[in-house]
Amino acid sequence: MKKILSFIVFFIVLAALSGSVLAGQDVKIDDHQQFSDEAEENLENVSLYPIKFYQDYISSVDGNRCPMHPTCSQYCIEAFKKHGTFLGWIMCSDRLMRCGRDENKLSDPIWIDGKKRTYDPVSNNDFWQQ
Amino acid sequence: MQIRNTCLVYRLFTFVIICSFFIPFSQSFADSGPQGASDPSLTLNPDKQFDYAQELFSAKDYLTAVNEYKRFIYFFPKDERVELAMFQIGQSYFLGRQFDEAVKSFKKLTDRNFETEYSIKSYFKISEIYIALKAFDLALINLNNLIMITKDENIRDEAYYRIGWIYIETASWDNARHYFEKISTKNRNKFRLERLADELDKETLIPQKDPKLAGFLSIIPGGGYLYCERYQDALIAFLLNGGLILAAYESFDKGHGALGGLITFVGFGFYAGNIYGAVTSAHKFNRKETGQFIDKLKKNTRVNLSADLENKSVCLSFRFSF
Repeated sequence: MKKILSFIVFFIVLAALSGSVLAGQDVKIDDHQQFSDEAEENLENVSLYPIKFYQDYISSVDGNRCPMHPTCSQYCIEAFKKHGTFLGWIMCSDRLMRCGRDENKLSDPIWIDGKKRTYDPVSNNDFWQQ
Repeated sequence: MQIRNTCLVYRLFTFVIICSFFIPFSQSFADSGPQGASDPSLTLNPDKQFDYAQELFSAKDYLTAVNEYKRFIYFFPKDERVELAMFQIGQSYFLGRQFDEAVKSFKKLTDRNFETEYSIKSYFKISEIYIALKAFDLALINLNNLIMITKDENIRDEAYYRIGWIYIETASWDNARHYFEKISTKNRNKFRLERLADELDKETLIPQKDPKLAGFLSIIPGGGYLYCERYQDALIAFLLNGGLILAAYESFDKGHGALGGLITFVGFGFYAGNIYGAVTSAHKFNRKETGQFIDKLKKNTRVNLSADLENKSVCLSFRFSF
């Protein structure tokens, strides 16, 4: 029972954290900032390794089958770079869920290498910056 | 005597032949001399220079046309077409997609003269460029400046009309109405304001989704997508998140803490992504519906204002799609 409770508490805390970010609350930057910009950049680079690995060794063999533009992996890289690791991870998960279904009907089409794709860049999804 | 004469004729003939060899050289020397250099001089004629620039403009060689218009202005600064040439420089930059240079060129015209035909047109062109660049604030400032300096009611009304449409582009309906109401009574029919007001009132009927409600409904995975009419995404979000939550629960329940933690980490991304996606979807839905309404409004009610370069009047056209 304790395990279930700990899991539920953990999940609620995570959901609350994500909710506060989504609500667009200002994050105060402390004078004694824990991470420097360089450290943050390194963290982002590390989090991009799995995506780069996927692009270099899996997608290159498997072929580009993503019906969106930019592709989901490229979108994730851009999201991580633009919004950091935490929000990048959320946006990446969101995009993987939306890929190739209702978005095809709603977003504008774009022709890439003679193939029709759905145009859905990061800038279409960071609504608080519009 | 006869022999002497024959010899003389022969010598004369030889002399003429030798001289004839030197004629082409002598002509070329004559051309290269100081007298020859002064003859083929080029005289710049204002008409020819302007026509050449116009020809380049018509041939869509815009950047070369700019140079020729500049040459025209430099050599004939007192010609009555100087303002037109300055305007054409701006147009050339605009059509050559060098928007910053186009704005600079049009501003030279507006700074030079207060209320001439081409300075007024330049004000409108500057605002059109800013609108094309989505710099709506700058377009508004520019048109407000024109309203401040002009005494012509027709020009002021056109500026009000354009400002109203900028507010429509940004979905600021009340501001748009405010500026359309400022148009003088005599020009209300010209701009078809009655029909525009009727159509504008339909903005309350634009279907909208509340992003906060979409986010709240996503507590149950897929609920927000369902609210935003994205049924397939809703099903995927529900199944994926439901599966991950169940897997994490089972892992923790069976004592596989590490696996449970890993699944929770992944599941958290998808759960938060489900909330985020629902909120974004609501915004996208609203944007799309508003965009469609604006497009329909433009199609049905917008009076096309085009600057007629030959006549001083403004050319109006209107169409309605049923």
